[in-house]
Amino acid sequence: MHIFIKQESKGELGMKKALSVLSLLALSMVLILAGCSSASNDSDGKDSAKETEKAKKEGKDIVIAVQDNFTGMDPHDTNDTLSGSVQKTMLEGLVGFDKNMNVIPVLAEEYLANDDATEFTFKLRQNVTFHDGTPFNAEAVKVNFDRLADPESGLKRHSLYSLIEKTEVIDEYEVKFTLSEPFGAMINTFAHPAGLIHSPKALEEFGNDVARNPVGTGPFKFVEWKPSEGLEIVKNEDYWLEGFPKVDKITFKPVAENGSRIAMLQTGEADFIYPVPTEQVENINGKNGIEVESNPSIIVRYMAMNTLKKPYDDVRVRQALNHAINKEAFIKVVMNNQGNVLDSVIAPDVQFYAKQDAYAFDLEKAKSLLKEAGYENGFKTKLWGGNNSSAIKAMEFLQQQLAQINVEVEVVPMEAGTLSDRIWSVQNAEDAEIELYYAGWSPSTGDADWGMRPLLGGTEAYPPFSYNVAYYDNPKVDESILAALQTADLEKRGQAYEEAQNIIWEDAPWAFLSTDNTLAGKKNYLQGVYLLPDGSLSVSEIEIVE
Amino acid sequence: MVEIKLSKKEAYMQMTSEQMKTRTPFSEFWRKFKKQKLAFISFFLVLFLMILAVVGPFIAPYDIAEPDYENVLSGPSAKHWAGTDAYGRDIFSRIIAGTQISLFVGLSSVLLGAVGGTVLGLLAGYYGKWIDRIIMRICDVLLAFPGILLAIGIIAILGPGLGNVIVAVAIFSIPVFARIVRSSTLAVKSTLYVEATKSIGAQPRRIIWKHIFPGTISSIIVYFTMRIGSAILTAASLSFLGLGAQPPSPEWGAMLSGGRDYLNIAPHVTLFPGLAIFFTVLVFNLLGDGLRDALDPKIKD
Repeated sequence: MHIFIKQESKGELGMKKALSVLSLLALSMVLILAGCSSASNDSDGKDSAKETEKAKKEGKDIVIAVQDNFTGMDPHDTNDTLSGSVQKTMLEGLVGFDKNMNVIPVLAEEYLANDDATEFTFKLRQNVTFHDGTPFNAEAVKVNFDRLADPESGLKRHSLYSLIEKTEVIDEYEVKFTLSEPFGAMINTFAHPAGLIHSPKALEEFGNDVARNPVGTGPFKFVEWKPSEGLEIVKNEDYWLEGFPKVDKITFKPVAENGSRIAMLQTGEADFIYPVPTEQVENINGKNGIEVESNPSIIVRYMAMNTLKKPYDDVRVRQALNHAINKEAFIKVVMNNQGNVLDSVIAPDVQFYAKQDAYAFDLEKAKSLLKEAGYENGFKTKLWGGNNSSAIKAMEFLQQQLAQINVEVEVVPMEAGTLSDRIWSVQNAEDAEIELYYAGWSPSTGDADWGMRPLLGGTEAYPPFSYNVAYYDNPKVDESILAALQTADLEKRGQAYEEAQNIIWEDAPWAFLSTDNTLAGKKNYLQGVYLLPDGSLSVSEIEIVE
Repeated sequence: MVEIKLSKKEAYMQMTSEQMKTRTPFSEFWRKFKKQKLAFISFFLVLFLMILAVVGPFIAPYDIAEPDYENVLSGPSAKHWAGTDAYGRDIFSRIIAGTQISLFVGLSSVLLGAVGGTVLGLLAGYYGKWIDRIIMRICDVLLAFPGILLAIGIIAILGPGLGNVIVAVAIFSIPVFARIVRSSTLAVKSTLYVEATKSIGAQPRRIIWKHIFPGTISSIIVYFTMRIGSAILTAASLSFLGLGAQPPSPEWGAMLSGGRDYLNIAPHVTLFPGLAIFFTVLVFNLLGDGLRDALDPKIKD
């Protein structure tokens, strides 16, 4: 039995080791606990004293820490909001969004649309030059939109502009777009961060390598981009808008770890961070000269129900689930108070939002609706969703809420690959296994169309073509959405979308939950930097005020 | 080393003074085991954990699934001894209720692994030749993977869930058991009494189960106990990664995972389940150490 002989000496040593490790651990535990209590006492005391403290800044160089890496600097070929935010500092579009997602003129001074929403004419701003000296004119616009509209281009953002049939130069500062079919939301599509304009000379010189050599008309010029370290931009001295930009240099750094991003802001290594994890807000706000800005966004959170499947084919069941969920508690527990109750299919800052009467938290009503539908004793179901900690938290919360009306929910978190296999690659609606799905959506055109059509727009939006995982198909809604697209008349579009929202709300293909807040942390000397409701960052007006 | 000598000496002296008294193997073991102070205490702590696992759900002060949204993430207090979690559930109650899950996973997975490993080890050790080579090479391959990685791989195939965690941990326990049992088998096989049994004409099955297997039991028991600790730890790790117990189950690893977002604002959410895992793994390992010393044939001789 040789193994015992070998292990014997080890064992004795091991035991002694275990003892000393044990005592060490006990000691450190005591220290940790002591540390915890004293730390919390400290911060309580400091809170009031430090509140008014103003942070100091030397120089005019800004560092911004963000969560993810950038995917590229070609707005026509990237589809993440973050890269778009950086592109916007160097490149500009014909129109853009202001702080509240309203469309504002940028390189265009005004625009005209015909009643059918098929022709859009832009009058351009004069005396604007690109960073490489090329003048900005109608020809430059045509080159860019010809590139985007070309189906052969293989650009990621082609789909947004595939409707453009032709782009005509009317004179040096006037350009006209003709669409192949009416599309009322086209102005918002022009304002989308994908519609930024490259210098035609750069496009010619670099081709698709503009993704690494962006040249635009924006307030900042590109310096260099090292993917792991960050991206640097400097002031454009010849910017067309008088008095801007107000800082010399900005460096964007990707910092994935929540904790390090916060530490960078606390030590002053970064002047602005985004996003701030919701649970940390109270912990850092008002200390070390840090301000956390929390603003309503257009990101909506909901639980989709597969309306083709029992028991969700019964509208009473879907309404019952809506009544059974306490949305205020959802925001408090899951969102750490950083959000608002969702009271339509789209968020208030999305164009053509029409407020609905929220489904009140009413367990009696929910139970009686279930009873009417024949599910007096509840039922069992599965809830799918992502596997990040906030999604899991939300799903657990929903599980607890639905248990109150005897609906037994099994929470199934999945990683992105599995999700896409099981949800987005389903070819036939009847084969879909999905029952409940916790999800979020941010329509970055800021228009009701993109907030409804891809998610609830009937059979055409079923996976794998689009994102209608509720398999919701109501011809009346389809009709309204279509009507809204076929005109550029704002009032008519508004009416059509209001009708669609009313019907969807009544049909309840989702359990409507909340809208997120965007959360950014900054040193309190920084101004003019803000997050748009779609979660993109605007730094063009950034300045240091001391 | 010093301790060994002492215990040897004591053992010797007791032997001479009470030489005439006959002892059963069990009382012999018990006498030696009682001398291992730490292991002896651990034995009662393990017993305590077992009892807790049985009665835990009935004595927990709060309902483990009942959320209290007015009282989320509150620290330890007289009302909630270990504070509350992100949904306002009482952590102390959940830890007590979770004992059952952790012990069940630990015991059942190691039991499965031990049964599988013992059978394979006996076959390999007794028959030798190609059976031995095939079984041992497969074990070598399995041993080449770091345990947790192998478990993750198995879960990836079987899908997440507590049942599959048990299977995964059992599978990666098999090769070690097989190795230990094989080496004991080899040693016992060449003893005189086995030779004698063989020469009488006993069937291999009888020889293996009646004569060789009992000789390997002590090493199986020792390794079994030591393994429970690491099985509990692995199961908790898998649950931490979201591959094991699913919410709202009060599995310790899952609770640990649920608290990691609040580490610097509410450390108690991770601290207490962490302590529970630490404590349980420690007592099982100390018990294993003690059992090994008590069952060591060198001291017995």
